[in-house]
This record gives sequence, C-alpha cells and structure tokens, in this order.
Amino acid sequence: MHISPLSWIALTCAVVAAGIMLYYLVRRPPLDAAGKSVMMLGVGVLPIMVAMIGNMEGLQATEHQAFCGSCHTMDMHIADANDPESGSLAAIHSRTIKFGDKSCYVCHKDYGMFGYAMTKLGGMGHVYMFLSEYAWYDMDEALPKIHIARPFKNDNCMQCHSTTGSIWSGVADHNGLLEDLRTGETSCVSAGCHGYAHPFSKPDEETPSDAEVHSALQAPAPEGT
Amino acid sequence: MSPRSRFTKFLDTASRSGLMVWACVLGLIGLALMSWSLFDQGWIPVMMAMSVGQGIGTLSFALFLVIVIIDLRQAEFRPSLPVAPPKPEDD
Repeated sequence: MHISPLSWIALTCAVVAAGIMLYYLVRRPPLDAAGKSVMMLGVGVLPIMVAMIGNMEGLQATEHQAFCGSCHTMDMHIADANDPESGSLAAIHSRTIKFGDKSCYVCHKDYGMFGYAMTKLGGMGHVYMFLSEYAWYDMDEALPKIHIARPFKNDNCMQCHSTTGSIWSGVADHNGLLEDLRTGETSCVSAGCHGYAHPFSKPDEETPSDAEVHSALQAPAPEGT
Repeated sequence: MSPRSRFTKFLDTASRSGLMVWACVLGLIGLALMSWSLFDQGWIPVMMAMSVGQGIGTLSFALFLVIVIIDLRQAEFRPSLPVAPPKPEDD
C-alpha cells in the first residue's frame, strides 16, 4: 500500500477534524464566536480539504490496475496482463513503461475531447453491470458473458502506433488495409490480425496461437511504428 | 403549514447544541468513509468516498450552517459607531 504525500496531508486534516468533533461530543464547549470558529474548521474547512484531496486521489486511483482488478470478474484479465510469460496484447503492452500499472486505463480510455468524463461515465456503467449482474457470478460463469461494451477503437491503438512510420508501413497487410484501419472498419485486435487483447476470454477457435501473435508483433523499434 | 413557515419554525425552536452533535456524528462518519479510500483504492472505498462519504459530509456542514443561520436570526445588530448627536440649529 502506497500513500502519497497528498494523502498524508488529507489524513492529517481528517485526524485534526475528527479530534475537534470528538472534543465537541465529549466536552460540549459553548457555541460562542470562538467555539463556532473552531467548529467551522472541524466540520467545514478541514473535511472539505479531505474531500478535495480524496477526489484527486480517488480519480487517480481509478486509472490503476488495482482499481480495475478490484472486481473479481477482472482477476483473469489482470493476471494475464501481468504474466511475464503471456504473449497476449494486454500482457505485451503492460510490460512497457508507458502502460505498466495503468495498462487497463491507457488502452481502454476515451481519447476524445471529453474523454476523461466519458471514460468515467463508462466506468459507472461497468459498476452498474457488476452490481446488477456479474457480482453474483463466479469466474467460470462470468468469463463467457463478459464482453466489451463497444467494439475496441483503433484510435486507441493509434495514440502510439501512428500508422505512418516506415516499419509499420512496411507490413503488406497494413498497407492494404490502411484506410480501413484508420476508420476502424477493420479492427487491429481482430482474430485475423493481432488477435484479441485478452485471448483467454474468447473461445479457442477464435483465438490465434501465440506463434501467430508473435509473428504479427515483430516490429522492434517503437519510433517506426 | 407551508414548507417555508415550517423551516422558520424549525429555526426558532431547534437546539443548537443538538444540531451540532448531529453535525459532528455525521462529520465523523463522512470523514471515515473519505479517509478509507486513501488507504484502500479498490472500487468500493473509492466510490463510497466520492458519493456516500461526501454526501454525509455535506449534510454535516449544512447542519453547521443552520446553526449559523439560527445565530444570525437571534443576533441583535448594533451600529458600530454611535449615532451622531443632532447638530444645534443655527440661530
């Protein structure tokens, strides 16, 4: 468990505020001008600081794997993403610094103008679906039923893979499908291309073998992709 | 009785110390929920902090503001400067 410096400030505010409130509950000092000033601090100013810092830290926490993985239905997705032996797209990307501990968020977030808010709204949808349905399933029941809410956008892949680099353009399939890939007609993560990002969650016949995935991913230099 | 007159009656009769006790109790619950998310950043603590915790905290602060309103209604406002004595009329 890592607690950031900002969280320590929030915790200090919370402790002081709690002390003030407990003191009032135990000793019941008079509510004159001085008493109200102290209570303003204990009930108003300090808890508001805690709430503001809590919002910042909470929203930041939603970008981490630990948050996404706190629903049991995501256990296998997180395990695969962090498996050093796995050749899935999720695992390959999670091993890079840019993705790392935030790989779920970096791949699945909305990169549009209101992307942050839209991503959070989508997350609320996930919470609703979890509470209303998936929370009651064990992993074996849930896995075949869980699916991405909307088809994965190639735009998200293109945040890094610009589709203009020489190595990328050197792949014949990329050139042949260039417009389709840019418009999203053909998905980068379809079975015939780079394979599903979380292949264990798909039926075997839809999943390319590790060898096929590796051969499609042999573009070593990120600058050229 | 209209909601406004009901609220006015409440302001006239409510106990300030009783309201402050509720404000403190709610404030402590809200603080506990908000602080929980700083230690455990799973979806339950984070969402509880940002919804229920902050809601309860807001209610607590609102009760404190009611106490301030009660005090303001009962306060006697005096001008800060004494009223100047009337000037003697010119003869």
